[in-house]
Amino acid sequence: MKAFIRYTFLLLALSMTGYGLGPDQARAADPADSGGASIYETGEDYEAFMEELEEEEGESQAVQIADPLYYWNKGVYHFNDKLYFWVMKPVTRGYKAVTPQFVRTGVSNFFNNLGTPVRFVNNLLQGKSEQAGVELGRFMVNTVAGGLGFWDVAEYESPLRDRPNEEDMGQTLGLWGVGNGFYIVWPLLGPSTLRDSVGKVGDSPLYPMFYVDSTGTIIAVEAVDRVNDLSFRLGDYESLKESALDPYTAIRDAYLQYRREQIRK
Amino acid sequence: MKKITVIWLVLIFFTGTALVSAAEPQPMEELKGPIQKGIAILKDPEYQDNREAQREKIWDLIQTVFDFKAVSIRALARNWRILSPEQRETFTKEFTELLKNNYLDKIQGEFQNEEVVFVEQDMLSDDKAVVRTKVIRKNVETPIDYRVHLKDGKWRVYDVNIEGVSMVQNYRKQFNDILAKEKPKDLIERLKEKNNLHAEERQKKG
Repeated sequence: MKAFIRYTFLLLALSMTGYGLGPDQARAADPADSGGASIYETGEDYEAFMEELEEEEGESQAVQIADPLYYWNKGVYHFNDKLYFWVMKPVTRGYKAVTPQFVRTGVSNFFNNLGTPVRFVNNLLQGKSEQAGVELGRFMVNTVAGGLGFWDVAEYESPLRDRPNEEDMGQTLGLWGVGNGFYIVWPLLGPSTLRDSVGKVGDSPLYPMFYVDSTGTIIAVEAVDRVNDLSFRLGDYESLKESALDPYTAIRDAYLQYRREQIRK
Repeated sequence: MKKITVIWLVLIFFTGTALVSAAEPQPMEELKGPIQKGIAILKDPEYQDNREAQREKIWDLIQTVFDFKAVSIRALARNWRILSPEQRETFTKEFTELLKNNYLDKIQGEFQNEEVVFVEQDMLSDDKAVVRTKVIRKNVETPIDYRVHLKDGKWRVYDVNIEGVSMVQNYRKQFNDILAKEKPKDLIERLKEKNNLHAEERQKKG
């Protein structure tokens, strides 16, 4: 897969140097380059600017990804989209209307606390021992003194105040040099990559819910977590979609850029 | 993926009566004024019943801080070359309109007394810098970085990066995909359509 990405990269680099442009296009662009008055449109400055841009674009191609499941992904994307507007959003609105903010914050804290084992282990796997220590400290304090995590009492302890970065197995694998593989959109779960999906499976034994036998309970708990989480960011999805010319591509790219940043942190 | 978008809103807090600057304007200092002024306009009760006036007021400020031409060229990157001079102009105009609509909707619709913290500035070169900020909403912190370049003695924004997602790169991907299958004029047409639809909807709302 890495070889494939490198190959794509090379092709892109080649095409950017102008070899990829057909002779017609290349000629068509020429008169335009000398016509304008702005520094962006003419002369050496323009060329330098374009070169710099292409370099930058090379960097951005690093978050390019193969999408062999395009038709499946697009179908699931539409399914998730409908699910959001027809189910998740109305339910969350109702929930938000009847649930005071402090309760929602408490529920959010509780689930965040339950996620500690995943973050703790992955911090260790990534050699971030200090962060792992903070996670452990927060977990103890919040579980014992914060009513099983509903209150983030660790906020009042200066070394434990800030929540460390989110860490998961997908990021750990990324840090170890595993590439994204290809893009995949899961029903309900949304955008992911092969690597991040493998990571999710790897993380699952670290979630307490993994050890609950009743499927009904798992679904109920998961639903509360999702709805509560969504209640803090209703409207985000709408505006991401609204701002895009091609929402599918926009979301795919945003996911990849976002994950790359998470791995970097 | 969380709140990535939430925040696209804030880029707008840019505005700026350019403080006539001393010899060496500092990028972070130069962004501070307009952002704070933008927030003040959003909070100003005078505009509570006059959204259109507020919208235009904020837009005036944004235009002095953002270099939309640079944003447009960067978003198209190598595709900029295949546009004719007229197309470049129309594209810049329509793309700017799209960004304007998105962001003004966002900040006007969802402003919740967010606080903007200016973290630091990194000079990338003599005429390029990153200004790092954090937007704090309730207890959620979101990092927002502004990329600025020096143009005519003023620091102007050419990209906004929210939680690691660059706006310019995101549009670049979309434009690349579209231009792989369609002609530049089709892309411009798409932008126009989207903007017209938005204008109609705004009119309906009054």
